[in-house]
Amino acid sequence: MALVVGVALVLSFPTIAPNPYILSAGIVVLSYACTATAWNFMGGFTGYVSLGHAAFFGLGAYGTGLLIRDVGLPSFAAWLLAGALVLLITIPVGIAALRVRGASFVIVSISFVLILLLVFQGWGSFTGGSDGLVVPRPFPDMLRPQHHETFFYLFAALLTVMLVVWWLIDRSRFGTGLKAVREDEDKAQALGVPTRNYKLVAYVVSATFTGLAGGMYALWFGDLDPIFQFSIMLGAYMVLMALLGGVRHLFGPLLGAFIVGTGLEYFKLEFGDTQFHLVAAALLLGAVVLFMPDGIIPAVTGLVRRFGPQESSIREVTAAELLERNGGTSPVPQPGATAGSDGSRTTSEAAPPDPNDEEDPR
Amino acid sequence: MTTTAPPAARSLETVGLTKSFGGVHAVRDATVTFQPGKINALIGPNGSGKTTFFNCVTGMIKPDAGSVTFHGEDITRRPPHRIARAGIGRSFQLCRVFPRMTVLENMLVAVSRSRFRELLKGAHNPEEIDKARALLVRVGIDHLENTEARNLSYGQQKLLELAGVLMGDPDTIMLDEPAGGVNPALIGRIGTLVQELNAEGRTFLVVEHNMDMVMSLSHHVIVFDRGRPIAEGTPDVVQSDPRVLEAYLGV
Ligand SMILES: Nc1ncnc2c1ncn2[C@@H]1O[C@H](COP(=O)(O)OP(=O)(O)OP(=O)(O)O)[C@@H](O)[C@H]1O
Ligand SMILES: [Mg+2]
Repeated sequence: MALVVGVALVLSFPTIAPNPYILSAGIVVLSYACTATAWNFMGGFTGYVSLGHAAFFGLGAYGTGLLIRDVGLPSFAAWLLAGALVLLITIPVGIAALRVRGASFVIVSISFVLILLLVFQGWGSFTGGSDGLVVPRPFPDMLRPQHHETFFYLFAALLTVMLVVWWLIDRSRFGTGLKAVREDEDKAQALGVPTRNYKLVAYVVSATFTGLAGGMYALWFGDLDPIFQFSIMLGAYMVLMALLGGVRHLFGPLLGAFIVGTGLEYFKLEFGDTQFHLVAAALLLGAVVLFMPDGIIPAVTGLVRRFGPQESSIREVTAAELLERNGGTSPVPQPGATAGSDGSRTTSEAAPPDPNDEEDPR
Repeated sequence: MTTTAPPAARSLETVGLTKSFGGVHAVRDATVTFQPGKINALIGPNGSGKTTFFNCVTGMIKPDAGSVTFHGEDITRRPPHRIARAGIGRSFQLCRVFPRMTVLENMLVAVSRSRFRELLKGAHNPEEIDKARALLVRVGIDHLENTEARNLSYGQQKLLELAGVLMGDPDTIMLDEPAGGVNPALIGRIGTLVQELNAEGRTFLVVEHNMDMVMSLSHHVIVFDRGRPIAEGTPDVVQSDPRVLEAYLGV
């Protein structure tokens, strides 16, 4: 139901947007949603936080631009080919980057985007360097509002494809394996999960979608500069948006992108080229990490459950009731992120007296 | 429901297995043969290298020297997931489950050799879920299938870990201190489960400090001291072996 309303709102946005500026802001938000959702194929499933995903955005954008300018390919053929190139490049990069875990992986991912930034800035004769690269428009006869409208739907279509793929993976064996990697990689391997290959596939899928989002951006915006395309900030926004919405949820990154993207566009409109938006983003990131480590979606659903009519976790639950509830199809209430001290352990503490219950050895 | 493991011709043995951490010789020159189809116990004082030995056999740690043979095949230095799919399942000394996944999801992680091809088919199929539920019933935590594993008690987590290992249909199961940190009632239940699973044809290799459990459960006992086996035999024989007493009493 909410899904239908959401889709209707998104699809009607171009017709209700009061002016082209707002419409283009809508496209920026959608492109953020694409990148955050793409990031989440890696970050959400495997828990590997890549701060350097802008590398793939930039590669997709420049690949598309250069294939049109220098090879003379039709726009969308160039876009697809650039996506394929990103896929191929990601395989060796992934094999190298995924040799390490945790903080080391974050550092490796940042270094990759920094290297690309320097290469694309330095190699001006090929990439246009800091002067920028002008990407020919795919629809030269279109007027600006029409052009915006078309790209709004193109981004929406790309996002839809990503969401469907994420949903499919989420309920697959492959997805279960990836989540196991996120939870405990060694244990997953001990259960027969080929963790390295799984991570690599997730990484490649994530990077390729990010590259396709970058290519789409290039076709829409028409002007590329390494400093924006290969920016650490862009990578950081992807992380922030996904964390804010909730990385375990299909629509988490999309929701986060909506909030952060709208916020960023608003700050740009109100305060122009100041650094306010950076400060706001940093504060938001701090707040999310401190107060909603699982993101908005679980926090809100947790709240709803807690104050909802049938929730009984606050009073004592009898063993029989609990058994019945656990045995039935209704899922046991999942602790919301903010439930913390009062909500999260309630189910287990109220569990029926069980011969297995014994002291924690730690 | 559970597939009975093929007859006991399969065996697990190590030759000259050696692993040191810096200057610490955790396992040195360990040559051990486990009796197929039996419950083998591995005992020894703290720090005698039992867990390290486990980790070398299951590929979690690469040994410095020596070899591991399973089904007559050299599996030394194979990656852990391939060793697991060859038929060796294991539990961890500090019980490890996937905390933010539900009990049922935990059960669906294991990838056995036969299931690997089916990965490409996508979603979990009903038989697999039925099998998971049946195993949960067997260990007695089926009523918790939708609970996140982190909300289980430690004992329930141990049962979940065992059930999760069984999903991979291993014919050899290595348990690192199954009775560690659990209450007497549950120790009894785990012991019974091990015996039943053994009766179905699975080989066990159990590291345990609880001597009552070791003596009542195992057919064959191997004693480790300072990284190598110093004695082996039936529980009775081992119990009266002077070298074992010496190792334990630290004479
Ligand atoms: N990862 C490691 N790094 C360094 N030293 C280690 C490591 N793992 C084990 N050791 C050392 O190797 C030796 C053997 O340890 P191990 O854990 O294998 O013993 P154990 O027999 O399992 O002991 P326990 O009965 O207490 O579990 C110990 O001295 C330990 O400190
Ligand atoms: Mg140990």
